[in-house]
Amino acid sequence: MWKVISGIFLGWSLGANDSANIFGTGVTTGIVKYRTAILLTAIFVLIGSIIEGPKCMRIVSDLSRLVPIEAFLCALAAAITMTILTYFAIPASTSQAIIGAIIGAGILSGSADFSKLIKIVACWILTPIGGMIFGYLLYHSLKFIFDKTIPSLTYRNTIYGVGIIVAGCYGAYSLGANNVANVTGIYVGSGLLSCQMAAFIGGLSIASGTLTYGKKVMITVGKGIAPLDPFTALVTILAEALTLHLFTQIGVPVSSSQAIVGAVVGVGIVGGLRTINPKMLVKIAVGWLITPFAAGLMTILFIYLTHFAEGLKTILFIYFPPA
Amino acid sequence: MMKVNEFMTTNIESIDHKRSVYFAVERMVNRRIRSLLVRFPGKELEYGVITARDVVFKVLAKGMDPTKINVSKIASKPIVFIDQNADFKEVAKIMDESNIARVFVCDQERIIGLVALMDVMSATIIARARGEYVS
Amino acid sequence: MFLEKVFSKGKKENNVIGDIKKQINLLCTACGFFKSALETDNPSLMRQVMDIERAGDTIRRDIISRIYEGAFLPYLRPDLCKFVEIVDSIFDLLEDTGYRYLDLKLPEQLRGECIQVAFLNRRICEMLLITFESMLKGEDLREKILAIRIYEKKIDDIKFELIRDARKIEITNFWEGEILSQFLSCLTSISDVIEDASDHLQVIHVSMK
Repeated sequence: MWKVISGIFLGWSLGANDSANIFGTGVTTGIVKYRTAILLTAIFVLIGSIIEGPKCMRIVSDLSRLVPIEAFLCALAAAITMTILTYFAIPASTSQAIIGAIIGAGILSGSADFSKLIKIVACWILTPIGGMIFGYLLYHSLKFIFDKTIPSLTYRNTIYGVGIIVAGCYGAYSLGANNVANVTGIYVGSGLLSCQMAAFIGGLSIASGTLTYGKKVMITVGKGIAPLDPFTALVTILAEALTLHLFTQIGVPVSSSQAIVGAVVGVGIVGGLRTINPKMLVKIAVGWLITPFAAGLMTILFIYLTHFAEGLKTILFIYFPPA
Repeated sequence: MMKVNEFMTTNIESIDHKRSVYFAVERMVNRRIRSLLVRFPGKELEYGVITARDVVFKVLAKGMDPTKINVSKIASKPIVFIDQNADFKEVAKIMDESNIARVFVCDQERIIGLVALMDVMSATIIARARGEYVS
Repeated sequence: MFLEKVFSKGKKENNVIGDIKKQINLLCTACGFFKSALETDNPSLMRQVMDIERAGDTIRRDIISRIYEGAFLPYLRPDLCKFVEIVDSIFDLLEDTGYRYLDLKLPEQLRGECIQVAFLNRRICEMLLITFESMLKGEDLREKILAIRIYEKKIDDIKFELIRDARKIEITNFWEGEILSQFLSCLTSISDVIEDASDHLQVIHVSMK
C-alpha cells in the first residue's frame, strides 16, 4: 500500500499548481478571498473526483500493464518531472507527465498500447483548441445575453461576482473529475486500488495540494493568465471548465493550464489578438514535447535502477547468504 | 420642451443704420459672428438685421464698394422675433417658414437675445437627452 | 460571505448608488443657490453654497468608505471612487467661486453673463445626474454626453464674451482685478470638470460591458 505515496505526491503537486488556474483570476481581482477560494476549490475537486473521476481512469490503466512497483515509479517520475519543469516555469501538464511515464514503463515491459496513445495525444492537441472555441463562443453568446437581459450596472456587478465564484466551483469540479485519473489511475491498472478508492484518494491528495500551496503562487499564476476585466475572467474560467468537462466525458485526462490558455486566446481573438502572447504559445509547445519524454525517460531509468538494485540484492544474497 | 430663453445668445452686437457696410464687415470679422442687429430710430422690434449673406450677395458680389453703402440699404427690416417663453419647436417652425437661420428673442418690447439655427439643433439634442423630446 | 452576496441582491451597491445620486443632487442644489445668489446679490445665500459643500464632503467620505468596505467588484472600485472624487472637486470649485464672489464687487455689466453661466452650470449638473442614471440602467450614454458637451461649448462661448467685456472694466487696484479674474475663470471652468466627470461615466459604462 505504501506504493500509493508517489501518487499522493503527484496529486499534491497537481493541486498546488493547477488550482491557481481556477480561482487565480478571482483572487487577483479581489472578487474572492484567498481562503474562500482554496476551500471551495478543495471541496469541489473532491466532489468532482468522486462523482466523475472514474471516467478517465480506464484509459490510463489500459495504456500499459504495470505491476505495482512500476506504478509507484511512474508516479514518482511524473511528480519529479513536474517539479523540475515547474521550477523552470514551463507550463507542464501532469497528464503528459504521467502518460509519458506509463508509456516508458510500457515500452520496457512491451505492453504499451499505442492505439490508446494516439487518442490521448489527439485530445491534448484538441485541449487548447477546445478552450479557444469555448472561449470565443461563450464571449459572444454571454455578451449578447447580458446586453439583452441585464443592462443594470448593479445587477451586472452581482452577476459577474457570483458568476466567477460559481464558474470557479464548476472549474474545480471539472478539474477533479478530469485529472484525478492522472494521479491514481495507474494504481487501478496495477490492481492496487479499486476505481472508487483511487478516485477518493486522488481527490483528497489534489485537495490537500490546493490547501497547502502558497497564496503567492496563486497570485502569480492568476496575473500571468488573467485579463483583468471581470467579464473576460468569467468567460475564461467557464471555457476552461467546459473544456475539461468535455474531455472527461470522452474519458481522457488533459491539461487544465492548456485549456485556460486556449480560452484566453479564444477571448483574445475577440479583442484583436492583443492578449495573445507568442512566448506563452512557444512555451506550451515546448512543454508538450519535453514533458512526456522527460517523464518517460526518467521512468525507464528508475525501472533499470530497481532491476539493478534487485540484481545486486540477489548477488549479495548468493555470495553472502544470511547466516 | 425647452424655452428659448434657456439657450439663446444674450450678447447681441448691434450697429447704427447710418454706418457703412464696410464697418459692419469689420465688426463681423472681429467678433467672428455672422449677423448684426441694425438700430433704426423707433421701437426695438422695428430694428433690422444684416447678415453675411446680405453683405456678400447684395454688395460684394455685385462689385459695389462697401465703404460707400449704408447698412440701412441692405438690412432686412423688420426683424423676425419670438417671445422668450416660446419653445424651440416654434422657433424651428418660424425658421423653416421664412427660410432664415436667426430669430431674435424678445421680452415684450425689448430684444433680449438671439437664437441661431445651431442653437435650435443643440437645444433639441439636450431636450432629447433629458428625455423631454416628443416627436 | 458568498451567500450573503447573493441574497443581499446588491444592497451595499444600491446604498452606494443612492449616495452618489444624493451627491449629484446636492451639487444641483448648490448650483441653484449659487445662481440665485448671483441674481439677488445675496451674500447669505452664497454662504449656503459653502454649507452645502461641507455636506457634500461628508457624503463623499461615506461613499468611498462604503465602496472599500466591499460594495462593487474591486475591478470597478477605483473608477467609481474617481468619479465621486471628480464630483467632489466640482463642489470645491463652486465653493472657491463663491468665496471669490464674496470678496468682490461684481461689475453690473458682467452680471447678466455670469448669471447665464451659473444657470447653465446648474443645467449641466442636472444632465450629469441624468447621465449617471442612464449608466446605471446600462443605456447608451452618447447622446447624454453630447448634451453635456454642448452646454460646455455654450459656456465656453460666453466665457470669451465675458473676458472681452471684463477687459473694458477699469481696474484701480491689483487685487480687485486679480480676484475678478479668478472669479470668472473659476465660474467658467466648472463645466470643464463636469465634462470630465461625464467622460469618466463613459469609462465605467464601457468597462462593465
